Amino acid sequence: MKLKYSLFSRRAFLNWLLGGGLAALGAAFIAPIAKFVIPPYKEPDEVKLPASDLVDLTDNRGVSFAWGNKPGLLKRGQDGALQAFVTVCTHLDCNVTWLPDDNKFYCACHQGWYNADGVNIAGPPPRPLRRLSAARENGDILIRKEA
Amino acid sequence: MGTIRGWLDDRLGIGEVSGFLTKKAVPLHSHTIWYYTGSSILLFLGIQVVTGVMLALYYKPTIEGANASVARIITEVPLGWLIRSVHSWSASAMIALVLVHMLSIAFIKAYRKPREATWLTGVLLLAASMAFGFTGYLLPWDSLSLAATKVGTDFPKAVPLVGPLAAKVLRGGEDVTGDTISRFFITHVCILPLLIFAILGLHLFLVQRHGMSLPLERDAREEKPGWLPFWPNFIMRETGVWLVLFGAVITLAIFAAPSLGPAADIMAPAPAGIKPEWYFLFMFQTLKLFPSRIAGLNGEQVAVMSMLAGLALVFVLPFIDNRPTERKGRVVSWLVLAAFVYAIAMTVWSLL
Repeated sequence: MKLKYSLFSRRAFLNWLLGGGLAALGAAFIAPIAKFVIPPYKEPDEVKLPASDLVDLTDNRGVSFAWGNKPGLLKRGQDGALQAFVTVCTHLDCNVTWLPDDNKFYCACHQGWYNADGVNIAGPPPRPLRRLSAARENGDILIRKEA
Repeated sequence: MGTIRGWLDDRLGIGEVSGFLTKKAVPLHSHTIWYYTGSSILLFLGIQVVTGVMLALYYKPTIEGANASVARIITEVPLGWLIRSVHSWSASAMIALVLVHMLSIAFIKAYRKPREATWLTGVLLLAASMAFGFTGYLLPWDSLSLAATKVGTDFPKAVPLVGPLAAKVLRGGEDVTGDTISRFFITHVCILPLLIFAILGLHLFLVQRHGMSLPLERDAREEKPGWLPFWPNFIMRETGVWLVLFGAVITLAIFAAPSLGPAADIMAPAPAGIKPEWYFLFMFQTLKLFPSRIAGLNGEQVAVMSMLAGLALVFVLPFIDNRPTERKGRVVSWLVLAAFVYAIAMTVWSLL
């Protein structure tokens, strides 16, 4: 039976139904492909550095460590407290250098500067360097995500 | 002999193709030289396929093997240094010719009706060529190529919504790692070649379908253009052009072979003086100029979005300037010229 004022013909309805079904079928094929192309990644829960590394902290050069796939740096702040950073530029992801003589972090990619506390002070970086928490436990230094 | 020929002709329809080629003619006028840019791109694409397959015989797309295998190619494999150098120089020549080809079309207004789709496929071919360059740049895996790829794959993050996901897909995770080498390699040697040949097929079909565009002045003066038969006259001239270009690229490849730095270390600080390939330099320099905040917005985001907007404008040019073919279009010419001068100026500045 055809309604007198229907704006939606049976053919249009069936076309939408069929098209929608095919789109859903397509999505079901694409979803696993999309899922497959991004591998899982988990940040480390903690990184343990031996206490012997503390000796190297005295000359302001700092100690490098690996925070998952990213480089990290442990050093002492002005007040002598331990500071840990993910030394990856917040601008475009280049690895930054700690320049102990200038007391600054420097990113060579686009001339970005951060002060000794990792705060962006010049150039294009939009945010401070990411901080991690560093604490001494049983003689070791434990680096964890900042709470 | 004749029967084999007859059989092949009957089953494959070779006669139709050769008949088309003998009838095809190229318009002859003061701008004919620009027609050679299109076919010369094919020369370099051919060189890329041959040298690329050769390099892939020795290249290893792994974090341990990438740099070492390229080092082996250029130091131990017979003439390996030359093949790699030709691959690198021919890539640059191809991009340069694509840009010249595109500029000539923008100035002659050959993108107008009925050739809009030809322009669209052409811009896609430019994008594919640049993607080839970008993915190929990482493969030697030295500190420069690592830093350039970190920056290049970080851009997409600035695009709202889809950006962070796109960056992860490009990198194969949060960071540029060995997984990135694998996916850049397969993109470089499989995905992009499939794409570029598909789009190129469509592009060449459209060129035949709509015929070659004539410059505006020709219509205005209403003089009949001369026609040069495609076979053998144009092919012969083309061969001459190809030989000269091939000679130039071989000469550059011999006297200015690209270097190879020590293997990249994903934990090491970025080296000073990182630079992308020359055709990305104007973007690189533009990005350097943007401050971290612009009117309360993230400067990087503004820079990336304005570059994407610029690319989108280039893509839809035939629909912005959709006036009849006989109109001059001086505004477009000036804008194209301005963009060209900007790109050159930025490139030179980044080299200083």
